Amino acid sequence: MTLPRLHIKNISKSFPGVKALVQVSLDIKKGEVHAICGENGAGKSTLMNILSGNLQADEGAIILNNEEVKINSQLEAQSLGISIVYQERSLVESLSVAENIFTTNKPRNRWGIIDYRKLYQETQSLLDRLQLSDIRPKMQLEHLSAAKQQMVEIAKALSQNPRILILDEPTASITETETHILFRIIQDLKADGVSVIYISHRMREIFEIADQVTVLKDGKYQGTMDVNATDVDEIIRLMVGRKLVKQDYLSDEQDEIVMEVKELSSYRFRGVSFKLKKGEILALAGLVGAGRTEVARTIMGADPLLSGEIMLEGSKVKINHPRTATNLGIGYLPEERKSNGLFLDMSVEDNIIAACLSHAAENGFIQPARVKKIAQELVQKLRIITPSTRQKVNNLSGGNQQKVVLAKWLLRQPKVFMVDEPTHGVDVGAKAEIYSILKELTHQGVSILLISSELPEVLAISDRILVMWNGQITAELSRDEASEEEIMHYASGTKIMFT
Amino acid sequence: MKKDKITQLLQDRVFTLTVTIALLFVVCSLIWPDKFPTFENISLVMLNLSIESIVAVGMMLLLISGMFDLSVGSVVAFAGSIAAYFMYWYGMYVPVAILVGLGFAGLIGLTNGFFVAKVGINPLIQTLAMMGIVRGLALMIAGAGIQNLPETFNALGQTKILGLQTPVWFMLLIVGIFSLLVSRTVFFRQYYYIGGNEKAARLSGIRVDRVKIIGFVLTSLLAGAAGILLSSRLGAALATSGRGMELRVITAVILGGASLLGGQGKIIGALLGTIFMGLVSNIMILARVSGYWQEIVLGLILILAVAVDVLAQKRGGVPPREYVRKSSEVTPPKVEA
Repeated sequence: MTLPRLHIKNISKSFPGVKALVQVSLDIKKGEVHAICGENGAGKSTLMNILSGNLQADEGAIILNNEEVKINSQLEAQSLGISIVYQERSLVESLSVAENIFTTNKPRNRWGIIDYRKLYQETQSLLDRLQLSDIRPKMQLEHLSAAKQQMVEIAKALSQNPRILILDEPTASITETETHILFRIIQDLKADGVSVIYISHRMREIFEIADQVTVLKDGKYQGTMDVNATDVDEIIRLMVGRKLVKQDYLSDEQDEIVMEVKELSSYRFRGVSFKLKKGEILALAGLVGAGRTEVARTIMGADPLLSGEIMLEGSKVKINHPRTATNLGIGYLPEERKSNGLFLDMSVEDNIIAACLSHAAENGFIQPARVKKIAQELVQKLRIITPSTRQKVNNLSGGNQQKVVLAKWLLRQPKVFMVDEPTHGVDVGAKAEIYSILKELTHQGVSILLISSELPEVLAISDRILVMWNGQITAELSRDEASEEEIMHYASGTKIMFT
Repeated sequence: MKKDKITQLLQDRVFTLTVTIALLFVVCSLIWPDKFPTFENISLVMLNLSIESIVAVGMMLLLISGMFDLSVGSVVAFAGSIAAYFMYWYGMYVPVAILVGLGFAGLIGLTNGFFVAKVGINPLIQTLAMMGIVRGLALMIAGAGIQNLPETFNALGQTKILGLQTPVWFMLLIVGIFSLLVSRTVFFRQYYYIGGNEKAARLSGIRVDRVKIIGFVLTSLLAGAAGILLSSRLGAALATSGRGMELRVITAVILGGASLLGGQGKIIGALLGTIFMGLVSNIMILARVSGYWQEIVLGLILILAVAVDVLAQKRGGVPPREYVRKSSEVTPPKVEA
């Protein structure tokens, strides 16, 4: 019997307190695009880390081209023809694009010295293949936008001429245009007989590009299906074990204006004005890099304000530090939770009380019993899955980590809550839970400023939608008149409502 | 579950160090029953480590927040010298001279804190420079040393209470107070958050800059207090005292459970670290081993202790920390039109 190109056999892997993978088996055939779905914490990333040599399985075997292989490092994986593009970037910002793409496999002349001319030539041809005409091989990486950096990451994987290419959420931070280019490249690779393992939360992409789809849940294999013989509902059912009821996320918007910003400008945006009503969800839609995060950070006092004013409940306020903002009742759930939101090596309870230490203290002394009680209440309320409140946050899955950051701000009870990509890299089940938490908050009179690049999310839960492009607001749409196409027009600057 | 508890305990440096010190104590008592476990020997060991322990308390606080201070050894010399200078040359009233010494120490800490937190100089560079500057100042003031200090001043460090020298009591008092403050108060908990993730701490409303500056001031004040106490104990201020102390103190604090990355450590660990180092040198003397070996042995122990810790964490199967991108480097939007 001939086995498929890659045969994963009964792989298991445990971390302290967590069974990340339990007896998972999987076949990847030559020239197929194989999607892997599952909630955060389902074991997708662990499985990919095992295939790429970053982690070793406790049990089981990896059989590549009919031969059992042991992969002890990423370099070994590369020599076996397996390349991976991680969810988080693995590039060095201070080096050039070319040096980033060819890290260990730089072309050398016969004396072992790097052949820069050839290096730049080869980089250029890779960039051409990816239609990245505005990137030059000698450009320093930090001058590129997040989306372009992700494309460089993909170019890096392609430079290794993989036979199996693993893409872990490759479209999370790139725009539509780049997604189309990526999909075309995947088609080319497929025609060349390369197998692609594609991890994504986005159902639409899976149905567009994949041949097979495998679902993992809680580290266990749930099944593999032909994409033509399944539908979104079935996959989601397998992922979460229940059918997702489409909820109506209408909030309790009132007429009272809680916050108003007038003509805010900073180095990254200009002339931003809007009013936020009590109990409404106001979305700031737009592409990555449009200046939305910077608006939130400036209101929070984390970035300097050049001009303009912020009115809170009718009176003008001056905010020059996040401390002032939190005292005024403004909260901010930042994007990139790992670098901006979490204390990874600290416990769940330490993270929860971080913005509100005095809440857990008496006369300046922290009361451990009270800390525990507060944390346990929030863990239950938000259904954070953790063995205890003393568990390090680093050991939780992405969705649960995000809920910990949410819990931190819920404890603080803000009047204005700015949430920046609240469901980025979070699975379908946790997404729905986060939406209902936000909705619940609006019922309590909290006003929410939602920054999101996911249009279905924006359309589903916001009352009004502001669209930003190139540092300015280009449109204000009501929930009823907005559509994905409409928003995309304003977000890409092809249409502007105001002048 | 029970196995998890044990591994957790083995990774707690306060626990392992306490056990190690207890074991050393028992073994040495068996080897030298009439020299080692005597009140005289142990109180001498404690006296010898008291000054460094006081400095170590401040260093632990800084390391918890992910910073450190190389100028502490120089501050020890400078604060002692300046207090002695005013007492000897101007006949300044003892408590006032002590306050002046502490005031200068605090000022040095404030300068370090300002340049690190507000200007953004790396703590290594800032405090390395300050180490040289302050040592120079101490040499200018005290030269070959200032002797014949007032009796009331000398009494501060040379009196015995309940058989123990006053520096030991000062040390125990300072360690006790800071232990309580750092483990329990809202203000000092902030150092753990800053060491854990500075950006997240700031966005959570912690005044990172201010807390850092206060950390440097406290560290310098403790080093100053240690220096004044040292002059009092010796009855003289020496411009060369505290040389190399910064690295010995950092060694002790890391042995006591701190990490250069911040976020970890307890004040009691600082004391345990200095006690361990004090015991090792006491043992070497009792065993009549050449003094040169002390530094070699301590170096080896430091590597061993940290290596065991790192290996234990790896074997525990903690997934590797993923690379996270700094948000301060988010690229500006491209102006296309």
